[in-house]
Amino acid sequence: MNAHLLLDSLSPVSGSILTNGVVVAVVILLHIQIATFITGSTTLAAVSEAISMARGDDRHERLGHMLLKSWVYLFGFGSATAIFFVVFVLSGLWAIFWTALQQITFWVLVFEAAMFLVEIALVYSMYANWERLRAHRRARLGLLVLLTITLWWQMFLIDVVASFMLTPNGGDVNLLNQVLNPTQLPLTIHRTIGNLAWSGAVLAFVGAFNYLRLTRRSGAPQPDAPAAMRPLRSVGAMAVGHLEAERRRTEILHWEWVTQWGVLWAVALTLLQPWVGYSYAKEIQLHAYSAWYTMMFGDLSNVFLLQIFLLGSVFVLGSLYFWRRMNRSGAPRARRQLFLAIVLILLTLLAVQPAWFAPTYADTVAAGLNRPWWQGGLLNPIGNFIPFKASALIGMVLFGLWSVTSYATALSRGHIKPGGSGRGAQRAALLLGVVISMMMLVMGVIREHSRQPYLINGEITLHQQITNTAPSVPSLQQSQP
Amino acid sequence: MSSWLTRPITTRLRAGMEWFDDRTGATELLHKGLYEAVPKKGGWAYALGSATLALILLQLFTGIFLLLDYVPSVNEAYNSLDYLRSSDAFGAWVRGLHLWGSYTLIFVIGLHMLRTFLSASYKRPRELNWVSGAVLFFLVLGLAITGAMLPWDQAAYWTSVVVTNIPHYIPFIGDGIRKLLRGGDFVGPITLTRTFAIHVWVLPFLMFSLIGAHLYLLRRHGEFGAWVNYDTDPGEDEEKQIGERIRHAEPPYPAKRIGRRYAAPRETVPFFPNQLFKDVALSTVLVAVIFVMGLISGAPLDGPSNPATLSYVPTPEWFFLPLDQFLVVAPTNPLIAIAIFGVIGLGAALMVLLPFIDRSPERRPLRRPEVIIPALFMAFTVIFFAVLGINRLYNL
Repeated sequence: MNAHLLLDSLSPVSGSILTNGVVVAVVILLHIQIATFITGSTTLAAVSEAISMARGDDRHERLGHMLLKSWVYLFGFGSATAIFFVVFVLSGLWAIFWTALQQITFWVLVFEAAMFLVEIALVYSMYANWERLRAHRRARLGLLVLLTITLWWQMFLIDVVASFMLTPNGGDVNLLNQVLNPTQLPLTIHRTIGNLAWSGAVLAFVGAFNYLRLTRRSGAPQPDAPAAMRPLRSVGAMAVGHLEAERRRTEILHWEWVTQWGVLWAVALTLLQPWVGYSYAKEIQLHAYSAWYTMMFGDLSNVFLLQIFLLGSVFVLGSLYFWRRMNRSGAPRARRQLFLAIVLILLTLLAVQPAWFAPTYADTVAAGLNRPWWQGGLLNPIGNFIPFKASALIGMVLFGLWSVTSYATALSRGHIKPGGSGRGAQRAALLLGVVISMMMLVMGVIREHSRQPYLINGEITLHQQITNTAPSVPSLQQSQP
Repeated sequence: MSSWLTRPITTRLRAGMEWFDDRTGATELLHKGLYEAVPKKGGWAYALGSATLALILLQLFTGIFLLLDYVPSVNEAYNSLDYLRSSDAFGAWVRGLHLWGSYTLIFVIGLHMLRTFLSASYKRPRELNWVSGAVLFFLVLGLAITGAMLPWDQAAYWTSVVVTNIPHYIPFIGDGIRKLLRGGDFVGPITLTRTFAIHVWVLPFLMFSLIGAHLYLLRRHGEFGAWVNYDTDPGEDEEKQIGERIRHAEPPYPAKRIGRRYAAPRETVPFFPNQLFKDVALSTVLVAVIFVMGLISGAPLDGPSNPATLSYVPTPEWFFLPLDQFLVVAPTNPLIAIAIFGVIGLGAALMVLLPFIDRSPERRPLRRPEVIIPALFMAFTVIFFAVLGINRLYNL
């Protein structure tokens, strides 16, 4: 087969850029929500298993088992979407791009596939032997840690591909440059933290949903009051009504705890994201300026505002959850959480100002006002990278940190009473799960669109034209018609 | 006189020692130093403090040897080190020892502080131990950065340019500080002599004064660790238990009361030989590693400084990577320096003043989320910026 025939066979299935893009968006965003949850929650399961071993805490063991079951249920569906994505969407609709990318990142994708095999072996082995491994807790923990490491590598490798598409920087001729391209490490750290926060958010959502379901009619159990009794018939020494009520009460307490555990992970980890995301954006600014400009000042800047709004909402909902829990438990300084929620709302509003609300640095220079404010100028003490936003982000992080720390302190001092949650806190947690899920969707849209008009920045366009005539994409370049 | 001369040599030595001891009290001092009580548990973790001291002394000795050849002048500094490298039998090794000693010192002092932080050893009555230790940490960083400026090769010259320029961003007084450090508007001969004076006189003087204070306070209050059980047994008469403990406590204990807790460990052992063995063992291993690294890797020396070059990209030492990356991610507006100085200054102030902020009697890390969570956040930030710094240098 000569080169022209080869290239003809790579011609994509007919379709518009828009429809092809929509197909990618639907399939991959669905896949990402599942894959990132499994990746992040393995760490949570390993942590729970370790705590359960150290403290003999059954709640953590139950949580670990629940997570394992969820991976088994979700893994099949997540893999199916990935296979569909590769076989039909990429090979069918984006054939030239995909072939080029696969050739460039061949070894990365080979190792990625190998990690899937390890994941399958570990997940199903643990699923089949969870109860049997109860007698060998260290082995079980070891398997969970192994799975965590495997999935982290899986994410690392796919991040190599994703970040290479944004900042190739010679990575198509040098494997090390490909792996350590400028945005690879920031993206990996961003996603590692994001996956953990997302898994926490899923736990918060599931816990809150179950809590609300169980307390739909009768409301929350009182912290120290006996469960509602309705004796129907007796089972041994205990009336069936007692048994059911006690079981229900135990369930409510468990899901309340799951929600709290999830909220803490979700909010505490998201606190790191402004730092990490900002640094990631800085690398994009340094190495793919047009993509950065599109995100911050261009077509995607309004979508980015939505992202910042969602980020602020995470902190607000977190502090509202903490406030409700502390308030209902009669914990000292509960009102501080309300104050923090109000401050966080104000900071969120400050952060979501459109870029054109404030003068850019170029405007400031043009007006001759590029001086410090104490010299009559307009320069923002916190910088000109979208004025006011940096200060709002720093504020969000600091006040969010205060909120989490206050709640954790109350928890460690025994001021948060189990069973004293109330439905309001659970609704906030439920919403938190939805918000973080939306953040992941929005971030996916921003990342994929920021490269336009390129699929691989500066190398292959959206129309699958190879534009870089440098030594990149060597095998395909020779066969260009 | 004659009878003293005719006595056996051992008798004469003993008499000499007695005379010396009578005048100085050396035996009592040695006894006090060797037989003080230290906690039975956690000895290896406490050895980090002695290792820090050993490494500081190693820096002092290797620094003295370097001083024998080094000439602090812009015309001769580079040549003197180049001579040391190429013509002195052990010159390159001694430079390597000084460099790797400084790297190891920063690492070990960091671990020592981490141990102290996690075990909450900074709490009453050891607040000033922590304060002096935290200031010592900053002095060591100061020594490291001034030391990096002395070779006056390309790396040293451009490090001097960058480092002395940082204070310029401080409003009102920044330019004055920069001028003071540089000895003028630009980096030049006076910059080098001032840096040299700071490196070999000012900072060591402050450091050894603080080390003295730190050791005195350590001996006054004794070692302390969170994993030692300071609580009294529940269900038994607390006052009786305390009485027993005080009766059996050895110096520097008896216990000091902090609320319902006591600053003395339950089980103690004498410093000699138990703790001393661990201290010497760890210090020996570290010094051995430094000797090997100094021999294998040595210390780099770029080409002579060239202020006219446009192509040289200065790279920071590894321990300043987080700070360097912080400067990189900051917006280009010079006023961001206020925020940087604010953040770093606030972080440093919080670190030094930690014992006065965290006043709760709790010592276990999980019981102190109010300090552990912000500390984790700060630690993450530092590590994250270091990783990004490496990433940036790779992709330059």
